Amino acid sequence: MASSVISITSPVSESFYPILAVFLLTVGLVSTASFFIYEVTTSKFNRSIIREVATGGLASFFLGFGSLFLLLWTGVSI
Amino acid sequence: MASSSMRRSLLAASFVLILFFVSSASAAAPANLVISKVDRKIDLVSQVVRTTAQIKVENKGMEPASEVLLAVSSEQAKSMAYLRVTTTEGRGKSKAPGVVLSVKPAEGEGPANVTFFSVELPKPLGKGEAVALDIYSAYSHLLKPFPVEIGQSDVQLVLFHDSAYYLSPYPVKVQTTAMRVPSFRVESFTKVEPSKITDGEIKYGPYENIPALTYSPITAHFENNEPFAVVKDLEREIEISHWGNIYITEKYRLTHAGARHKGGFSRFDYQSKPSASGAASFRHLLARLPSRAHSVYYRDEIGNISTSHLRSDLRKTELELEPRYPLFGGWQVTFTIGYGVPLQDFVFKAEDGRRFLNITFGSPFVNVVVENLVVKVVLPEGSTETTALIPFHAEQTLKTKYTYLDTVGRTVIELTKKNVIPEHNVNFQVYYRFNSIALLAEPLLLVAGFFAFFAACIAYTHFDFSISKSSSSYQARQLREEVLDAVQRIQKVMNERAVASEKLEASLRDLARTGNVAASKAARKETDVKLKETAKDLKAILDSLPASSRSTVLAKVDTLMQKEREMQEKLQQKHTITVEAYEKKLSSKEIDSRVAPYQQKLTALKQEVSELLNLLDD
Repeated sequence: MASSVISITSPVSESFYPILAVFLLTVGLVSTASFFIYEVTTSKFNRSIIREVATGGLASFFLGFGSLFLLLWTGVSI
Repeated sequence: MASSSMRRSLLAASFVLILFFVSSASAAAPANLVISKVDRKIDLVSQVVRTTAQIKVENKGMEPASEVLLAVSSEQAKSMAYLRVTTTEGRGKSKAPGVVLSVKPAEGEGPANVTFFSVELPKPLGKGEAVALDIYSAYSHLLKPFPVEIGQSDVQLVLFHDSAYYLSPYPVKVQTTAMRVPSFRVESFTKVEPSKITDGEIKYGPYENIPALTYSPITAHFENNEPFAVVKDLEREIEISHWGNIYITEKYRLTHAGARHKGGFSRFDYQSKPSASGAASFRHLLARLPSRAHSVYYRDEIGNISTSHLRSDLRKTELELEPRYPLFGGWQVTFTIGYGVPLQDFVFKAEDGRRFLNITFGSPFVNVVVENLVVKVVLPEGSTETTALIPFHAEQTLKTKYTYLDTVGRTVIELTKKNVIPEHNVNFQVYYRFNSIALLAEPLLLVAGFFAFFAACIAYTHFDFSISKSSSSYQARQLREEVLDAVQRIQKVMNERAVASEKLEASLRDLARTGNVAASKAARKETDVKLKETAKDLKAILDSLPASSRSTVLAKVDTLMQKEREMQEKLQQKHTITVEAYEKKLSSKEIDSRVAPYQQKLTALKQEVSELLNLLDD
């Protein structure tokens, strides 16, 4: 039986969870900061919606994956 | 007490009679089988009664027999937790040690006090043939404490009822029974000659030629201080996360099912005289967790319970825990333990692409009886085609559970079984289909959540939420916005102009190095065009400035533009002179001296312009 079955592992090795969480969250927070800096420094009339969505999207991507690995690292069962 | 035991023996006597009468009626039902030899051992050492009967069945009739009936008194059948029949063919030579035979409750009429099980033989037993069977059965709650209540300094005595003869629907030729008791202290046992007691073992028999279904009640009364740890309810939740871990949570309601505690409890006596006090109580429990268990916790409603020890090595992890108080008869305690194990140790991919969990069924605690066990296997979200494979009967129900980051909920297979003893601690499998892409659902949910937040921020800054559009403060804010916008645009244009003049200066530096006059002229032309364009832009911006704000901002902007224009002019002059000088092929010294005054002015102007630009920011 043992020969015909393969054990299933995580797609990302568990030892990478801390470093991934820290790195992704850092990038995410930096892009969040740049998003808000852009929001408050540019005036209402010459803000570019594309740039806003792009920065926001980038920030949410990194924050999303970063918080996933943070949850996994801290042992929340997800 | 004496009268009750009298009544019991009277009852038992009538029971024998009833059985005798009925047996003659039902003897025709089973085939003409005879048991030639029974060797029965009853283990009474722990709270679970385990019996092993090695029997040899012979077919004396004409027709072949395909099944053998086993008889168990109804009282015992009620608390029977486990029954396994194996056959040992070929007397230890080349044959495998045992083939497990299928056993099912037998239907049909029989004496009311006896429950029959039918064992299917691997091949029908022909005339004159014999088969040897090993019957292993285990019973929980069969040992009854007597006295029912004991004090703190008393030992626990228990009663065990059985028959001196092996209960069987067939006549038994020769039989012996041995009961192993945990201590040398045996208060009494029913004597059915020949019977004797030696070294913690009560022996009955050998008896010869006992008719079918003969029941001769015997009672043993002996000391048993083993912990009667009974878990009334246990809920095991096995949650699979394909991100690398299986989280197991176990909720216990543990009781001491032995003789009930009577009188007060003295902690002083309990601590100072551990040998004479609370002999039947227990304060430790040992759990054998999987070898790579981690994140182990032990808590209850109040919080963490610190009295536990975790030992782990390569092969096993042992958790020894103490409840908050020692458990005496009738006392109970609730607690929760939990741990995580690596995914790769328990979840595998089968050949057909399905995945399966392979994990033990019962409680990891040693020597506990679980009255009501619920095993919940929480599969990852997006699992389909779930089936559970258990080597014994258990009720199965499918449920849905919502935990962190769930959208459609996780499939839960709930397995319910009553009366679980350590023998049930075998592996079971849960098969399911799962696509690895579904793993991305959780991070994408998080990403979507964060993005919704950013989208809300964008919307908030883009829309105008003020109620009164005519109030002066609103208008002032609106005006400020517009001015700010204009200033930013001016700054942007100024930057462009600065970049253009920078280019011109760079071309001058190139000229000084290479003497390429044509390139420098080209650069000049380019810059001029750029400056002209931007000047137009600047004018447009200035015109668009709201009239009311002109007085305040315009002055600043005007001076800035003036100075800037001056600066650009000076730069152009510098350029013209330098280029001319080069065309005339003047010496570098002369060029320097001609350019110097312009250069000085230019530097001063540059300084002023940058200061003005900063001022405009305020």
